[in-house]
Amino acid sequence: MEIFVVLSVIALLAIFFVAQYNRLIRLNISVNEAWAQIEVQLKRRTDLIPNLVETVKGYAKHEQSTFDAVVAARAKATSASSVADVAAADGMLTQALRGLLAVAEAYPDLKASTNFLSLQEELSTTENKVAFSRQFYNDNVRSLNTAVKTVPTNFFAGFAKVTAREFYEVEDPQDRKAPNVKF
Amino acid sequence: MNFRTQQAANRRKTIGLLVGMGVLMWLLVYAALTYFGTSTAGIVPIAVGIALISVWGSYYGADKLVITMTGAKLIQESDNPKLFNLIQEVTIASGLPMPKVAIVVDTAPNAFATGRNPEHALIAFTTGILDAMDRDQLQGVIAHEMAHVANRDTLVSAVAATTAGAIAILSDILTRMMWFGGGRRDRDSNGNPIALVFSLLILILAPLAAVLLKSAISRKRESLADATAVAFTRNPTGLRSALEVLAADSTVVRQKSTSVAHIWIESPLDGKSVSKLFSTHPPIAERIAVLKAMEQQS
Repeated sequence: MEIFVVLSVIALLAIFFVAQYNRLIRLNISVNEAWAQIEVQLKRRTDLIPNLVETVKGYAKHEQSTFDAVVAARAKATSASSVADVAAADGMLTQALRGLLAVAEAYPDLKASTNFLSLQEELSTTENKVAFSRQFYNDNVRSLNTAVKTVPTNFFAGFAKVTAREFYEVEDPQDRKAPNVKF
Repeated sequence: MNFRTQQAANRRKTIGLLVGMGVLMWLLVYAALTYFGTSTAGIVPIAVGIALISVWGSYYGADKLVITMTGAKLIQESDNPKLFNLIQEVTIASGLPMPKVAIVVDTAPNAFATGRNPEHALIAFTTGILDAMDRDQLQGVIAHEMAHVANRDTLVSAVAATTAGAIAILSDILTRMMWFGGGRRDRDSNGNPIALVFSLLILILAPLAAVLLKSAISRKRESLADATAVAFTRNPTGLRSALEVLAADSTVVRQKSTSVAHIWIESPLDGKSVSKLFSTHPPIAERIAVLKAMEQQS
């Protein structure tokens, strides 16, 4: 009789350990996938830029400083690799693109061209996709970091070789999460 | 209230209502056994079986069935790249797979989601809603539909429909038995008049109570989908202004069948609805108020 009690306790413990271990591994994989998604979306955006710059140049030749800012930010974005570097480059590029679109506002012919309109749609969806993949990544990092730091999963973190991950933080004064002023 | 507390509250209420449904089923079986004696026990599995077969067939093929019932047409990315862009944005925000997309040719603005799991999800839009809404509003609507997918609302409503269906069938059979004087074989052995009257009441009222519970579950799932949509986009304003567009519009979708009324984002039965208790959606003004409260939070 006792042997069954002992065996079932061991079995339950084993199931518990495996569940904790697997949970950590799963969370870690989700963070990796979310990161891959960010990279896909950032790549989409950098691929979009040459075409956009060319189109705007066709109508607004004298805005060289704006074009330079975009090209410089793009170069930085393609060379960044750590989470913090990618995030910083991403923020810069977002700002530079905003400047480019602001320039376009001053040229009615450009704004009306079908090429620009379709590029604008592409750019706004890509900006949203970048923002959402960033948000999804941060949500996943939050779950992982909570698991790594709380009982009982924290006991298994070392064994599963899973550590807390870095949040993706963009320094952007006009970020969509900025508090709205209400009157 | 922010979207997290909203989501938790609506999930809790759904579970409470589903438990209520189970209790109702149990009460009905108990009443049947009291009134007709233990010989009627065999009817219960028959009623449950009929309900299971009729509901779960449509649950399994939900995506295909609803297409025929609403006249929706599947579209590809090249048919409407902007719509697909918006849907891709929400799939990235939610981590869900890309659903199938369909269009219903109808000027009334409306949308729905269905499918037995996220891998078989289908979301559909009327041509009216695509014309009436801007980018942010449409994003809110898509997030609401994808929220239904994420919360597995096709499954929840199938469970609710099965129990409500079983209760309706059971009470139907039992009422017929009563009219034709069947059962009640052990009339003498079980003579407690209060228990008999109580059982009779349950037999008569159970189907009505089941419909009320089913509608309440549907309303809670709608509120939950609104909250989950905000969790996806973190932008209550988009969905709120989309609902305002829907509220301002008085046209309703030309229904081929009222049996799929509950799946649309705005109830197509608004005008006909008897009262709030029977409606499948919370009042649109109430939904707007909840979203406004979330906007103040952020």
